[in-house]
Amino acid sequence: MVNVGDMLVGYATNEDVRKRGASGGLVTAVLAAALEKGLVENVVVMKHINEFEAVPIITDDVDEVLASTGSLHSVPVNLAKYAMGRKVAMPAKPCDAQAVIEQAKRGMIDLDNTYVVGLNCGGSMHPVTTKKMLVEMYDIDPEDVVGEEIEKGKLIFKTKNGEEMAIAIDELEEAGFGRRESCRYCTLKIPVNADLACGNWGVIGDKAGSATFCQVMNDKGVKLLDNAIEAGRIEVEPASDKAIAIRAKVNDVMVNLGNTLEKEIFPEIPDEERMQYYMEPMADCIDCGACKEVCPVCACGEDSKCTMFHSLVDNYKMSMYHMVRLLHLSDSCIACGQCSDVCPSDIPITLLQSSFAIPSQRKREYTPGMNVDDVPPFFEVILK
Amino acid sequence: MAEEGWEPKIVAFCCNWCSYGGADTAGMGRFQQPASTRVIRVMCSGRIDPLHVFNAFLEGADAVLVTGCHIGDCHYVNGNEKTEVKYKFLEEMLQQLGLEPDRLHLNWISASEGERFANFINDVTAKVKELGPSPLKPAGVK
Repeated sequence: MVNVGDMLVGYATNEDVRKRGASGGLVTAVLAAALEKGLVENVVVMKHINEFEAVPIITDDVDEVLASTGSLHSVPVNLAKYAMGRKVAMPAKPCDAQAVIEQAKRGMIDLDNTYVVGLNCGGSMHPVTTKKMLVEMYDIDPEDVVGEEIEKGKLIFKTKNGEEMAIAIDELEEAGFGRRESCRYCTLKIPVNADLACGNWGVIGDKAGSATFCQVMNDKGVKLLDNAIEAGRIEVEPASDKAIAIRAKVNDVMVNLGNTLEKEIFPEIPDEERMQYYMEPMADCIDCGACKEVCPVCACGEDSKCTMFHSLVDNYKMSMYHMVRLLHLSDSCIACGQCSDVCPSDIPITLLQSSFAIPSQRKREYTPGMNVDDVPPFFEVILK
Repeated sequence: MAEEGWEPKIVAFCCNWCSYGGADTAGMGRFQQPASTRVIRVMCSGRIDPLHVFNAFLEGADAVLVTGCHIGDCHYVNGNEKTEVKYKFLEEMLQQLGLEPDRLHLNWISASEGERFANFINDVTAKVKELGPSPLKPAGVK
């Protein structure tokens, strides 16, 4: 039996899953057990195509879940919207978990039916940038890559012929590659808002690389773990004090780095230049609507204020679409970076959006996606 | 700086029960005010969506005024409290965007405060005249 708040180290009992998993395969095993024992009807996983491509699938096949094991750093997809209207378990980066909670606040996801297994995340990479980086920085053909890993601040790529190449992430980011911009200033690295917070930070000694550190965040987390232990898919033991301290230390380092980078990334703009600063990139907009389509916290549906009252011909300047979105997301934007990723005109939308959302959220001491009981500031007045 | 003889265009959203009455009282009391405002009557200030304000700016307004009943006097119990919540977000957003703070105002004016309404319009017009045309004004709109 596990309890809320427990810090555990565990691994999958299936040797194959344990070996292929990024760190002990605990997450895969927990998801598989949840499906097997009927705790959920579906599991959302990323179906591996190659190192730079994976598609989210909603599956009820245990083998498919087991096959999805292993982590990918260069396939950033926010999974929140896949959980809608289903009884699912899903792996989640901290921003996925944030989006799930934001959707739950807006009545789109029933949290009782959604099991979120959080994964520590130090940042993800854009596949196109990664391929370019492989050619320019690593001098590897992207087709030859069979695996990647982040260890001790270095990004390691393994090639077909068994070679390993490592370059420090700082160095990559200075050259304009590395993590996506929104990941650099993100400060939520351990998914304390999910049901389970898993990851390899704090796994030390002989278990390093073959076990997962797991913190139980709430009752649903207890259910998930108990269920997996009962099914015989995982084994867990309490984490040592040293392991807990190391995990906290890694987190502190990452959060501090995020805070430092935030100051570098957001420029100080004089008041008289602001309008120009925002309008110039927005003028490239072609009104494809992709940024709204992928937005994991948007719950308005297809026809909404931002799309219905604006005209295509206004896109050469600041348009109604952007103005409504900048305002509307200022209390809910989690800076997941998806809008920038999908923009065909390469507008840094996440950066622009964040420069509205971050001050607004800080002023109200509100962080979106942390607790389902926190009322979004926009809903402040409710009829009594 | 604006060209000679330029008059700002100001869109004033007035609620039916208070500030629209206030505008009426200003007229009846013969308080002088510039002809720069275009009043749009809404049933309650709570009806004013940020969308309406954006549209006013994008269509060429130099300033937008959001007015309603005093807090506690709303004809619909708490409509103006909702206005306030929305307005705070709106104000922050437009400032971040680089619009001068003097171009957007929130004011509570009751139906009997004709002089207050006229003074308010006078003040805002003078300020906006100094600022010149809004940077969001589309080309070709005066």
